[in-house]
Amino acid sequence: MSSAQPDNPEHAAELLAKIAAEQSRAAFSELFRYFAPRLQAYATRQFGNEQTAMDLVQETMTNVWHKAHLFKPDRGSAATWIFTIARNIRFDLLRKNKYRQNDLSADDLWPVLAETNDSLDDDYALDNDLLMQQLAVYCEQLPKAQRTVIELIYIEGKSQQEVADALEIPLGTVKSRTRLALQKLKELIQHDD
Amino acid sequence: MIKFHPSEQHLVLYAAGELSPAMLMMVGTHVDMCPKCQAHVQDIEQHMATKLFGETETASIVHGFDEQAMLQAIFNSQSPAGSAAPAANDSLYLEGQRFALPPTLARNSHRIGEWSRLPGKLWRAPVRVGGEEMLNFIYMGEHASLPEHTHKGNEATLVVNGVFNDEHNEYRDGDFMLLDEHHKHSPATQDHDCLTIAALDGPLHFTTGLSRLLNPFSSLFFK
Ligand SMILES: [Zn+2]
Repeated sequence: MSSAQPDNPEHAAELLAKIAAEQSRAAFSELFRYFAPRLQAYATRQFGNEQTAMDLVQETMTNVWHKAHLFKPDRGSAATWIFTIARNIRFDLLRKNKYRQNDLSADDLWPVLAETNDSLDDDYALDNDLLMQQLAVYCEQLPKAQRTVIELIYIEGKSQQEVADALEIPLGTVKSRTRLALQKLKELIQHDD
Repeated sequence: MIKFHPSEQHLVLYAAGELSPAMLMMVGTHVDMCPKCQAHVQDIEQHMATKLFGETETASIVHGFDEQAMLQAIFNSQSPAGSAAPAANDSLYLEGQRFALPPTLARNSHRIGEWSRLPGKLWRAPVRVGGEEMLNFIYMGEHASLPEHTHKGNEATLVVNGVFNDEHNEYRDGDFMLLDEHHKHSPATQDHDCLTIAALDGPLHFTTGLSRLLNPFSSLFFK
């Protein structure tokens, strides 16, 4: 165990990375014990209602648990990311009672938790358009499970989360299949050159 | 080069979600188009996060908050469904031309209503975002002009694409301007057409909130 606290930005970012990669309950508990009571204290003062405050904390931290893979350390600190999730949930909570069909939701304004293809890590994003065109040919040589994932992501343009939902497999599995498949594809392509 | 930006107060209130829906869309669209304001909004979010999470005294932490129970509930929860947002449409077609929509408008393209023609090469379409204030696209063809007018309350205008002038200035892509009720102006286009969005800047929706973390009404905090 390190002596660093979650108020150390690097440590907080590491905890999020651990949650994303291995669903580490220990890492999440550590983040939770730091952020949840502070959010709770602030929200209680703001809403003047402990139950609404609890809802805000629980919804925020539930998203942190399930969506840690959407945190991008190069775009800001872990605290800022958690803040923007809480801001979005607060925005929607405040509108819930007087909801009308046309009302904006927080996602319409700040897509903090949108699953997009730029959530693919840079190190396994294909960097060459030509590769895309050859992909179909090389895909034939991949194991079927990997090929399906690659086709859904790169040909149909689905996000990794959408692929996970469609195939009913964990996000982590989609990520590892993508990584393995791209590794294999790069080998095949280099071998052909 | 964008010359006219929203005020810092607008950016703080945008980052806190404490403007009217119409103004959130206006400021959000400017932020999409303006790297400077984008960086500024990130700074503001970071400052708010620091205030919210960094300066809470332990004494004010609520008693009876059952951390263990909430942790268990979270571990047992299903992943929140990604909201099935309607497909973003990043293009708008008008008078045979294609206009690229910045992300905030693209995500909300399903809210754009019917275009209606106004006298004098002007077109208008409502954007339905809820709230009291109207948000409208206004399209001015070449050599078009709006009659001189004043506003009841403040009116915000943002150039999405094109150029227009008034007595005071020339406004281009990304320029954001706020005119109060004492300003008379007569916008007009010359050799270019111009697509803008416009909203009345109504009263703020919340009197207390996240923006209070930074007290946006006391001059400048940043830079
Ligand atoms: Zn700006």
